[in-house]
Amino acid sequence: MKKIEAIIKPFKLDDVKEGLSGLGVKGLTVSEVRGFGRQRGHKEIYRGAEYQVDFVSKIKIEVVMEQNLVPEAIKVIAENARTGQIGDGKIFIYPVEEVIRIRTGETGEAAI
Amino acid sequence: MSSFASARLESSKEQLVSLFSEGDISETFPQSYTELVDRYFRSFLEESETGHRLFRGKNPFALVAVGGYGRKELCLNSDIDILILFKSRLPSTAKKLAEELFYPLWDMGMDLGYGVRSIRDCIRLAADDFEVLTSLMDARFVGGDSPLFLSLVESVQDKIIKKKAGALKIWFEAKNKGRMDIFGDASYMLEPNLKEGIGGLRDYHQILWLSKAFFKIRTPRDLEFAGILSHKEYEALKEQLNFIWLARNRLHHLSGRKNDRLAFEYQEEIAKELGYRNKRGFLGVEQFLGDLHACMGAIKSLRRSFINTQLPGNRMKSRILPFPFPKGIHISQGELEFDSATAIIKNPMLLLEIFEQAGALLFPLSMEAKRLAREFRYLVDESFINSRDAAISFGSLLENRYASHALDQLFETNLLEAFIPEFAPVKDRVQFDAYHTYPVGRHLLEAVKNLKELPRRKELLLLEIYSNLPDKEALILAALLHDIGKTGKDHSSRGAALAARILNRMGYPKKKVKMVSSLIRNHLLLAETATRRDLNDEKIIVDCAAMIGDVETLKMLYLLTWADSNATGPRAWNDWVANLVEELFFKVLHVLEKGELANPDNARRLRRKQSQIAGLMSEEIPESRLKNYFELMPPRYLLDSGAADISRHLEAVLELEKRFKTEGGNAFSFSVKKEGTEGFWQITLMAADRPGLFSDFSGILALNNINIFSSCVYTWRNGIAVDIFRTGNLPDPLHIEDTWERVQRDLKMSLEGNLSIRKRLAKKASPSLLSVSKVPSRAPQVSVDNNSSDFFTIIEVFADDKPGVLFQLSRVLYELGLDIRVARIATKADQIADIFYVLDMEGQKVDEENDLAKIKETLLSMLEKSIETPARS
Repeated sequence: MKKIEAIIKPFKLDDVKEGLSGLGVKGLTVSEVRGFGRQRGHKEIYRGAEYQVDFVSKIKIEVVMEQNLVPEAIKVIAENARTGQIGDGKIFIYPVEEVIRIRTGETGEAAI
Repeated sequence: MSSFASARLESSKEQLVSLFSEGDISETFPQSYTELVDRYFRSFLEESETGHRLFRGKNPFALVAVGGYGRKELCLNSDIDILILFKSRLPSTAKKLAEELFYPLWDMGMDLGYGVRSIRDCIRLAADDFEVLTSLMDARFVGGDSPLFLSLVESVQDKIIKKKAGALKIWFEAKNKGRMDIFGDASYMLEPNLKEGIGGLRDYHQILWLSKAFFKIRTPRDLEFAGILSHKEYEALKEQLNFIWLARNRLHHLSGRKNDRLAFEYQEEIAKELGYRNKRGFLGVEQFLGDLHACMGAIKSLRRSFINTQLPGNRMKSRILPFPFPKGIHISQGELEFDSATAIIKNPMLLLEIFEQAGALLFPLSMEAKRLAREFRYLVDESFINSRDAAISFGSLLENRYASHALDQLFETNLLEAFIPEFAPVKDRVQFDAYHTYPVGRHLLEAVKNLKELPRRKELLLLEIYSNLPDKEALILAALLHDIGKTGKDHSSRGAALAARILNRMGYPKKKVKMVSSLIRNHLLLAETATRRDLNDEKIIVDCAAMIGDVETLKMLYLLTWADSNATGPRAWNDWVANLVEELFFKVLHVLEKGELANPDNARRLRRKQSQIAGLMSEEIPESRLKNYFELMPPRYLLDSGAADISRHLEAVLELEKRFKTEGGNAFSFSVKKEGTEGFWQITLMAADRPGLFSDFSGILALNNINIFSSCVYTWRNGIAVDIFRTGNLPDPLHIEDTWERVQRDLKMSLEGNLSIRKRLAKKASPSLLSVSKVPSRAPQVSVDNNSSDFFTIIEVFADDKPGVLFQLSRVLYELGLDIRVARIATKADQIADIFYVLDMEGQKVDEENDLAKIKETLLSMLEKSIETPARS
């Protein structure tokens, strides 16, 4: 089992979500995050005062799935999240040791 | 014995509960349940051997109900607070008595709050702990030795309350602050706590306790009899309390335990049980919550007024009033009062003016004044609403620094909806999601409050913008009315229309009405665009700017967005959203200040042009598809080109798209049009855009000795480059067709990659027939501007005009890895003035300082070199 973590532009959330559900991915977690990569924040000057914004607002999607779905999922996420401009984001893949469903106690892939 | 009594209690309670479930006796449940429990205790007294022995042994005791049980307010799973009271010393069998009394109740699963105490114990505990004191203040005799009970009551009164009434009040005020901190929070408003929450049962209890302490009332009914509450107020309070107890009992029933927090999971079910049904656009649960909020709001304000104005010791020092005060109102001990009811009848405007003063001076209305205001609400009739005086008064109310203070009271006394009837249908409207904290009425007032309190907050940029607004009034009005259309779908436009009606009625100038209306219509625009659209897309920003129209409106919209979102709930505004909206604000600001729409007419021209084109193209393209094509056209293109030209281009683009399918990606479109009578031509070239395309086009024209006089270059968003060239006189005016044919042939070869323009230009030795005579050259100028546009790096070039110079310039840009998206080429006399909007190969503005410098250097050195080697076409 793997966990996919993707940082994407906020307005791409719906597209990515649609794409993943088309794959049969059953659940995901979404958080509002801020950060920077090569796309830095910017500095604005308004009436002589500086307003510096260092962190850019992004959406983080986390989803756990069976190993064999991962390559498709990556493709779907990347295609839907891409604009071709700096700041499109990144995808990270992690191994998952165990998954437990709290309500029933199921473990492993059945719990995903 | 006791088992009989307890068995009977158990079965009676079961019966009561099942009657309750069927909805039968819900309103009288607290009383009925209390009576059942009383009966149990009394039976116990009759039957208990231990009890009898104590009495015989001259150790009388009393059973005293305290707390909620004392108040006869038992809900399904409430604690039963009972006290076994002895005179002075606790006998040894007291413990056995207590066990006999309480075990059966515990066995039944009831929760007890119990004590076995002497009178002295009680006094001692209550003197130190106000929780105990208030519990004892609710003491009620259930059975046993009644003189003992009376003795307790007297002692509590003489030994504690007499001395500590004031301290008790202060203790409540501190507790209320604490409650405000905890329960005023957004999450608690979504799942109200019926007891401890703001406007919950505790507020009513405080009124009771303080009235008992200061005015020696005995029962709740005394609140009316002692004149603390009017008859109407008392009746209203009873209704509100009954509603809350009803909801609380349902909650106990559903959750199966003592519970005061109306969690989400129970809200819908309770609403259904109480008989609320879904109506069109208004869920049952939303109606229920609306009613609940209204009740709790009323109780809250009653408690507040009561503590602030009815109790001694809280008077504010009278201030010297700096300005003339309206007749009919006066200030008494820090509160605003009407002179008399007659004064109101004589001058109904007082009904508004008193609130105006409340906002100006930050004084509250006294309870009596609020009462009178409610009583005389009927005077706010149609002529009042339409009157000029009322409008002026309301206007100055809003202008005041403490306008929110005034609005709150205006809202509480239901006068706001009397004066603005459009408020009535929406004020208690609740939106059932985890997003909206307040009902609509409250939300609108909070939005206004946010703006008024801006000086005290940390949002420096917003404060900066707000302080410099020329027309704050329009913004405040928009904040006050922005959700007034929430009676159904599409509340933004509905609200805009309603607001216009309201403000016209109040006689506001047309311009202001229009502004407020447009602010309301667009009040969701910034937040939605910022979170759902690509802010790096120039088109999105320009479209947004076109809808907003000018800088003043943008600033107000930004402030309104903040005030609205901040008054919605914690998920609506946080750093994450603020970041995005701020970015959008600045980008739109730049477009409106320096960019394409810096001229305010442009937005209107754009819209007009689009409808003209729709008219011209109506035969060929359905309107929906046409809309898609407008999306593809760069803003600058739409502004620069005429409607007829755009229509022609659109036809050509449609044609070209078809040919891409049949001929492949190298298809191009070439059309010429004669301009005027002097032999000037307009050439329109279209092809699939790629870096270097423009350079190739200009090179081919130069190869064919066509002097380019001016040029406009646009890249449509479907990837088609639309390049428009205006030429000077042609070299061979008699054989124009041949020229065009040669050009097209060269174009075809070049697009297929079979033409090296540079080499061919280099080979051209002979000067063209149009070679200009050598004029003194001026130094070329190049400026690279990375600030004026959020989307492009802008390169401006001024240099001598020479054949082929355009090719060379664009070629250099291509070699530097820059993609020309938009360009404007012009010639004035012998000088060229070219402006290129470029992006790097990643589709971004040029990033690095070094790269910017390099562009400038390279262009300059190229231009300077060509001065030294003249006439190289």
